[in-house]
Amino acid sequence: MTRMLKDITFGQYYGSGSFIHRLDARTKILLLIFNIVFLFLAKNYYSLALCTVYVAFVLLLSKVPARMFLKNIKTILPIIVFTALLNLFYGGGGTVLFTLFWNLTVTTGGIYRAVFIAGRIVLLILISSLLTYTTTPNDITDAIESLLSFLRIFGLRGAVHVLAMMMTIALRFIPTLVEETEKIMNAQKARGADLENGKLFDKIKALIPILIPLLISSVRRAYELAEAMECRCYNGGVGRVRMKRLRFSSLDLAAALFNLLFCGGIIILNILL
Amino acid sequence: MSKIIEVKNLSFSYDSGAKDSKYAVQDVSFSVGYGEIIGVIGHTGSGKSTLIQHLNGLLKPTAGEVLLEGKNIWDEPKKIKDVRFKVGLVFQYPEYQLFEETVFADIAFGPKNMGLSGDELKSRVENICEVVGIRKEYFEKSPFDLSGGEKRRVAIAGVMAMQPKVLILDEPIAGLDPKGRRDIVSMIKNYREKFGAAVIIVSHNMEDMAVLADKLLVMNGGRLEIFDKVYNVFSQGARLNEIGLSVPTVTKILYLLNEKDRNIRTDIFTLDEAVKYLCGYGAGDAHA
Ligand SMILES: Nc1ncnc2c1ncn2[C@@H]1O[C@H](COP(=O)(O)OP(=O)(O)O)[C@@H](O)[C@H]1O
Ligand SMILES: [Mg+2]
Repeated sequence: MTRMLKDITFGQYYGSGSFIHRLDARTKILLLIFNIVFLFLAKNYYSLALCTVYVAFVLLLSKVPARMFLKNIKTILPIIVFTALLNLFYGGGGTVLFTLFWNLTVTTGGIYRAVFIAGRIVLLILISSLLTYTTTPNDITDAIESLLSFLRIFGLRGAVHVLAMMMTIALRFIPTLVEETEKIMNAQKARGADLENGKLFDKIKALIPILIPLLISSVRRAYELAEAMECRCYNGGVGRVRMKRLRFSSLDLAAALFNLLFCGGIIILNILL
Repeated sequence: MSKIIEVKNLSFSYDSGAKDSKYAVQDVSFSVGYGEIIGVIGHTGSGKSTLIQHLNGLLKPTAGEVLLEGKNIWDEPKKIKDVRFKVGLVFQYPEYQLFEETVFADIAFGPKNMGLSGDELKSRVENICEVVGIRKEYFEKSPFDLSGGEKRRVAIAGVMAMQPKVLILDEPIAGLDPKGRRDIVSMIKNYREKFGAAVIIVSHNMEDMAVLADKLLVMNGGRLEIFDKVYNVFSQGARLNEIGLSVPTVTKILYLLNEKDRNIRTDIFTLDEAVKYLCGYGAGDAHA
């Protein structure tokens, strides 16, 4: 169980200093949204193939090892296979290719849907994990704050800052909490707590000795952090300046142009073929 | 003398499997006799906490073995829980593991997991509280209303209530005021006297170690540096300094005095003894 907690990789930043790492986090978020939209706009096999080539290209560009991406795919592989199979056999449409037992028929429409569902999910996961691998959690939250700053015109500036700060703090404390959980689990195991065996109800009951100390220490930590922040005159976002500022550069322009090229390709392939 | 715990060539790495795995504990062997008090000292990160978590089976050795009363604790992995009742481990800052509504219920958690109930459970808890000096008025209080030192006493009593034959404590007096420290030390002494248990204490407080321990186990960078009688360990002041440790403060003072007067002994490690010696020293001097 302790191992299991360790294996969940949070804040999976993998620094390799590639071209993609050096892009502005805002560019990466916007382009990610843009790419996801176009993944769903791809209508035929040709445009899906273009999407695959595009994703493969940017993954290579990131210099993040392939096994890091494969790890992400592996965890949800059963879900992908299941949805693909479901789409393959139900819904029909198109010409019937062949029939298996129990009237299960494989049609061209079924294959189309199965390929598209599986392909889109896989590409979606790959391209999204690219963001977390190439951007530090702090940069992501800064970028979100900056992107949402237009809400200022609705008088929501403080709220945006508070949200972004909450995200930063939450991300920062995940490893701390994992460590704390392991410690408390070990301490209760040393008192003979049984976390693995027993019926469902017993297992839920066995969580109480872990959750209560964890909750109490989180509240304690929150108070301590709040006090420490106040001691350094933190009073929300008003008048705050940054040490590390996000800056667009010519790299971002290049990335945006490259993306336009890709999107143009999808549209052309969708229309022509 | 027969041994209650024997550790043989124990090595452990947190990322076993990785190619360049670094050992947190490497090739450590020692044994603990019945009723002995062992002090474990060492620089932060030297592997003290990792080592002691092997003794009750919370960590499984990457290599080597741990024998409890002559039997390898991992012979029957299903029965590892029994090992945890025989070898009680108190973690650092144990007060953060309290969770029950009342002090009584929290102390009863361990014995309850052993299968005790009813009157037996009640007398077990009352008994341990008497030994370690937790008064009855505390039983129905919430553990969260207690002071820091009191919380820690309750948490330690929660492990003692399982009446382990070996009691291990990881930095039990860290961060307490002098009174809190004295309370914990006397708790540990009382428990050992009453139940004849072996005790292993990890601590940075050399003074307390000099008073309490029979033997010291010195860890350095995951390896066992010295395992010997307190006297023999503290006589190696230079070696201790080298690995980031030191002799008790009184001994340091004796060393300074010794620079002025070569006749002054430097092999005294407790305050009481030093006071007695120095008071007598003047008299002896006049006599000579
Ligand atoms: N849960 C853990 N996961 C990975 N490494 C750890 C863990 N706990 C301790 N370590 C490492 O093992 C080594 C020994 O640590 P520890 O046993 O806690 O030392 P000590 O208690 O003497 O300060 C250190 O290098 C530490 O970083
Ligand atoms: Mg430690």
